[in-house]
Amino acid sequence: MIGLEHFIGVSSLLFAIGFFGVLLRKNTLVIYMCLELMLNAANLALIAFSRYHGGMGGNVFVFFTITVAAAEVAVGLAIIVALFRKRQTVEVEELNALNN
Amino acid sequence: MESQLYAYGLLAIPLLSAIAIAFFFRRSGAFASGVSVGAAALILAVAGHIIFKVENFEYNVNWIEIGTLNVSFGFLINDLAKLMLFVVAFVGFLVHVFSLGYMKDDPNKARFFGGLSIFMFSMLGLVMASSLITLFIFWELVGFSSYMLIGFYLDKPSAAAASKKAFIVNRVGDFGFLIGIIMVFSMFGTLNLSALSDTFGADASLLEAAGVTTIGLLLFCGTVGKSGQLPLHVWLPDAMEGPTPVSALIHAATMVAAGVFLLCRTGFLMTVDALTVIAWVGVATALFAGFTAVAQRDIKKILAYSTVSQLGYMVAAFGLGSLAAFKGHGDAHGHMGQSVVTGGVAAAMFHLTTHAFFKALLFLGSGSIIHACHHEQDIFKMGGLKSKMPVTFITFTIGVAALTGFPLLAGFFSKDAILAVALESNKAAFYLLVFGAFLTALYMTRLWLITFLGAPKSDNADHARENGLTMTVPLILLAVLSIVGGYASLYPEVVSGVIGGIPHPDSAGHTTILIASLVAVFAGYVVSYFFYGAGAKEDRLEQTFKPLHTILAEKFYFDHVYDWYVAKVQQRVATTLHFTEQIALSGLIIRGTAGFAGLIGIGLKALHVGSIHAYVYWFIGGLALFWALAVGIF
Repeated sequence: MIGLEHFIGVSSLLFAIGFFGVLLRKNTLVIYMCLELMLNAANLALIAFSRYHGGMGGNVFVFFTITVAAAEVAVGLAIIVALFRKRQTVEVEELNALNN
Repeated sequence: MESQLYAYGLLAIPLLSAIAIAFFFRRSGAFASGVSVGAAALILAVAGHIIFKVENFEYNVNWIEIGTLNVSFGFLINDLAKLMLFVVAFVGFLVHVFSLGYMKDDPNKARFFGGLSIFMFSMLGLVMASSLITLFIFWELVGFSSYMLIGFYLDKPSAAAASKKAFIVNRVGDFGFLIGIIMVFSMFGTLNLSALSDTFGADASLLEAAGVTTIGLLLFCGTVGKSGQLPLHVWLPDAMEGPTPVSALIHAATMVAAGVFLLCRTGFLMTVDALTVIAWVGVATALFAGFTAVAQRDIKKILAYSTVSQLGYMVAAFGLGSLAAFKGHGDAHGHMGQSVVTGGVAAAMFHLTTHAFFKALLFLGSGSIIHACHHEQDIFKMGGLKSKMPVTFITFTIGVAALTGFPLLAGFFSKDAILAVALESNKAAFYLLVFGAFLTALYMTRLWLITFLGAPKSDNADHARENGLTMTVPLILLAVLSIVGGYASLYPEVVSGVIGGIPHPDSAGHTTILIASLVAVFAGYVVSYFFYGAGAKEDRLEQTFKPLHTILAEKFYFDHVYDWYVAKVQQRVATTLHFTEQIALSGLIIRGTAGFAGLIGIGLKALHVGSIHAYVYWFIGGLALFWALAVGIF
């Protein structure tokens, strides 16, 4: 029987993958995907809790999160494209203009 | 046409001339001199119209209004102002004409004539000003034009130093003047001269109010600076570094007399104590400068000290005469009443007027001599100019006679008026002033004997020739005025408010004055003639009384004392203050604060490593911090 703890486990795993991806990957696009992964991990946890409680509050939250995330993706991807046009790279190590 | 339009016009003419010269004719000296002299002639015409055809008037227009402070710009034309206007416009015009000849070959004459125009503007504004604050503004403007013209010979370090000295010494006096003006405003709430005069006229007890004596003395500070009274006289003899026409106009006839004019304008608020100080400062200056003039060698320095001495006479006349007015009132603290023109004011202004004529004459005469002798100024290198420069000789002689008080010439009458108020008010001051008259005769005769008589003592003097008409005609006109200027009945009706106030002592007093002054003057002539001898080659005082001569020639060591004070006292205090400021204010507070902020900045800059991953860590750290705060760990 798949219980709440399994969903929490998957969600935590997804969140950890996303988190360490953000910390460790070098490509901005991948980092961005990892961010999305973390959002989805949170969504999964919310759905699971909602199901467990039998209420609709979590589902409503998820709808909001997805909407905001869609908008955020549009903006974020646009920034990355613009960045690439400007610098011809999206590698994090080369985006160090703020150094000191 | 309304009266004030003439006054505005009178100010506009020299101002426009100065602006035109400054912006358009800087390089065309001939044109600039034409503009300036033309302006001077127009000034004379308009001033003449104001004096004779325009009734006395007061005109004020609001200029600045902040709370209760109400500064108005305006004109106050009364008999006093008219007399002064006449002196300024007339002497100013003659000096302009003289300058045409004197400055003929100077490459910078555009600047010179521009300076003269700006001076005329400032001086006319000063004379007509209706409130203390506008008077002060024009007072500073004449100071500026004086500074500019003293330093006219830019390439001479001594001229630059003299102009700086004049400016700085005047600052000292003007500082007191300004504080006096502020005190007047805080006590009476107005700076308008006629309003103040009415206030004092309506309430005689005001003169006993605390602080009025201080106000009088603070206003007198301005006079001390501008009119070269002890102890701020040091700038005036040095101011002779300027061109000679400037010395005649600014440093003999008009600007230096502005201090006396200020006293006469504000005479209504002078208390007995203030007047006593003023009178004795004047007497001391008259004697001090008379002594000093005896041992000078430079013709202009002698005349400069003579000017200081005569200004001392005017100030003393004002002080003693106003004291006499108090005395005549019986009550020592009584008020002079509505009649602002006391015998003191009249005597001072009378002497100011005659002095303007003969001292301008003497200075222009010395300018004529200096011009002819190729800028030789040492009287012991002149001599024998009597036959070489007959017009200059005759007019200069008239000037000397008028200044010393030769009977029936201008100085004789005005000096008698001063002696009359002195006799009425203070016997000691009277005898000291009589002795001053002796000194005047002594040093002027010395100057005259050595310069004009005997044989030429240098090549420059030997080659001297009489100057052209532009220089001799002003001399002749001034000589005429030096003769007739003493006859009070010849003055027009419009200035009778001042001239009519000239004191006429009773017959016993009159005899005393006449005998005393005649004895003093002729003793001066005789002593000088037999002591120095005609056309002397050496200063006999120097040979016979060396120590005395040294003291006099060194001007009683005033300059040395000031030099010592500035170099050893003031400079050290300033250095200490500067050092303290560098450490405490500039070092600790200003640089310390900036350095602290800078250090924080350097520390925080280390956070900006430029790696996006690092920012994620900062982000997590910040999140942890906020979380800790939110749950109350801190």
